[in-house]
Amino acid sequence: MTETILEVQNLQKTFGQHEVLRDINLTVTKGEVLTIIGRSGSGKSTLLRGLNLLEAPTSGKILFHGKDIQDDSFDLAQYRAKVGMVFQNFNLFNNLTVLDNIMVPQMSVLKRSQADAKEHAIAILKQMNMDPFINAKPAQLSGGQKQRVAIARSVAMDPEVLLFDEPTSALDPEMVDDVLSAMTALAKTGLTMIVVTHEMQFARDISDTVLFMNEGIVAEEGTPEQIFGNPQEEVTRDFLKRYLKRD
Amino acid sequence: MKKIWLAFAGLIAALSIGLSFSNSNPVSAADDGTFKVGMECGYAPFNWTQSTNAHGAVQIQGTKQWANGYDVQTAKIIAKKLGKKLVVVKTKWDGLLPSLTSGKIDAIIAGMSPTPDRRKSIDFTDPYYVSQLTVVTKKNSKFAKAKSINDFKGAKITAQLSTYHYDAIKQMKGVLRQPAMDDFPAMRVALESGTIDGYVSEIPEGITAQNANPDLTMVHFAKGQGFQTSASDTNLSIGVRKGYSETNKINNILGTMTKADRSKRMDDAVANQPSTAAKGNWFINILKQYGGMLATGTGMTLLISLVGTIVGFIIGLLVGIIRTIPAPKSTGKRGLLGFGKWLLSVYIEVFRGTPMIVQAAVLYYGAAQALGINMDRTVAALVIVSINTGAYISEIIRGGIISVDPGQFEAASALGMTHWQTMTKVILPQAVRNSLPAVTNEFIVNIKDTSVLSIISVSELFFTSETIAGQNFQFFHTYLVVCLIYLVLTFTISRLFRIIEKHLDGPKDYNVMTNQMQVETPKPKN
Repeated sequence: MTETILEVQNLQKTFGQHEVLRDINLTVTKGEVLTIIGRSGSGKSTLLRGLNLLEAPTSGKILFHGKDIQDDSFDLAQYRAKVGMVFQNFNLFNNLTVLDNIMVPQMSVLKRSQADAKEHAIAILKQMNMDPFINAKPAQLSGGQKQRVAIARSVAMDPEVLLFDEPTSALDPEMVDDVLSAMTALAKTGLTMIVVTHEMQFARDISDTVLFMNEGIVAEEGTPEQIFGNPQEEVTRDFLKRYLKRD
Repeated sequence: MKKIWLAFAGLIAALSIGLSFSNSNPVSAADDGTFKVGMECGYAPFNWTQSTNAHGAVQIQGTKQWANGYDVQTAKIIAKKLGKKLVVVKTKWDGLLPSLTSGKIDAIIAGMSPTPDRRKSIDFTDPYYVSQLTVVTKKNSKFAKAKSINDFKGAKITAQLSTYHYDAIKQMKGVLRQPAMDDFPAMRVALESGTIDGYVSEIPEGITAQNANPDLTMVHFAKGQGFQTSASDTNLSIGVRKGYSETNKINNILGTMTKADRSKRMDDAVANQPSTAAKGNWFINILKQYGGMLATGTGMTLLISLVGTIVGFIIGLLVGIIRTIPAPKSTGKRGLLGFGKWLLSVYIEVFRGTPMIVQAAVLYYGAAQALGINMDRTVAALVIVSINTGAYISEIIRGGIISVDPGQFEAASALGMTHWQTMTKVILPQAVRNSLPAVTNEFIVNIKDTSVLSIISVSELFFTSETIAGQNFQFFHTYLVVCLIYLVLTFTISRLFRIIEKHLDGPKDYNVMTNQMQVETPKPKN
């Protein structure tokens, strides 16, 4: 494999007495698509939010290109621009139009000119089939449309890594496919992605590596074929049985 | 949108800087060749306000109105002999002493008696008039024929606050002493409306009252049946700061005035009082005669409440930004931020927790007396209203920020936006929209509440209406007109803000598929 982008060492996170992440270790290489599956409450989202420092870890290290992101001298804003995040609830800026949602972060964080930011935004919106809606406000869009705008907003920052926190969980079933196909297209461009999802079929199709989390630790890790075809751990089998039956 | 904000902020900054520097000059006794005299300009025939310069009136500082009366004419002679230019500073009765001690005026010539209490804080010259007490009552009242101060059994009597008139009521057997009132116009309203049966006054004022209003009359006491008064009370003297350099000169000047001179001046003053018995439609008369004053007062009220609300709004936004800063990693910065946030809560609690009228008095008189800062009263008014409104709007904006869904904060930080960028570009525009109805409320409250600034004699609408009522004795009518003006102001503002809100919300029937920067014809999706 090629160059390592993100490395997580002995990551721990507790909320009061509650230990959510117990001891997480993982490595993400350039171009890799890593999906994280597991039960609700197993710590998937917390791990993802930890990678972006939206939740400060209790202990452990996160290295980005070998540099500790919790270091005082580390430029967190630039890091966050390079490590984008897509949320379950979209979190679009409600006061801005679709176009401005995508332009404003580029202009304020990356200091792009208005013209550059606009050109870039429109190009990406086109890929997402959202270009007819550039002047709409988020409240005027459907959930699937909102999520595609949110993805476009992250992609416009030209990130090295994109984190997806259950991007289809808040969507009506008929809208899920639009978002998943947009994500599949992104994966094919060679973008490094870390995806927390409950869409098993999607995880199977898109991933290079699948990671099964259980009670704050990585219970099992492997290729999609290994995890879905021949899971080694009892907990993994238990979990997948329930899901695959539904598919 | 961004440009509008910038222009707005620039305008306010320029305005506030200009105002704060233009008028504040160092305290007291700065001998700039003027003789600043404080008076109420509402105690005819000693002093009153008029809208022309007729009969040798003197323009009132900072207004388009003129003062005249016995006090003004006396002050003119003194100023001339001192070789100084006379400046009349219109000041409320209660504000006269603090104005003098804090150096805002050089002398009080306002029909004031040199009582021992007042002598504790200021000096007095020799008397410039000797007065006698009387009681003003309604002509058709059973007390109108009284011959003695003891003929008022059961009468409700009052007098002006902080005067010996009020103490003198205690000599009247069997009267019901009412709470003291602020000024003579107020007492005349009370008398006309029947809430009191009479008020204690001095004979010149009594003559004025019965001339101006045929329903009123002054009681003539039989010899020896009037009030027992001491010279320190009936003498009217000029109040000066302790150790004032010109006191002796003023006494010499007063010494040259003969009794005949003084009587003549008082007769002139009584004759020259603004006539009030206007014929025809009262509404048109008030507008004709005092339209200019009302317009100026309305302008001042609008200026103070508008600037106060806008500056208060900016304060509120800044406080909102600071109070939501996430805790930084380094302990030192965190401590500093914590201290800053604590200071802001103290500011909000103090200014929300005390009445604006008290804040105005403390700032205006306190700053002059304790710190030697002589603030222009309009600037003081603007500062107080702004700071006070800022405290309220800070809390309103805080509510607005809380109402914005926290996911948008997260998304912004996940994109690498700074706190400032997040607040100004994403959160505050939404918070402001949510807070707008409450901010409109503040604006309307400010329009009405600026009336308390009459404590520092700012000539806003209410202060102006008091002046007018004091002149034309048509209290009900004048206040009715002023009421109407307030209503027009507040109604216009609430409508205006509704339009702004609608504008911010954008058109309701927005068609997302039509936009002016179409990149290609939209094709229907699969």
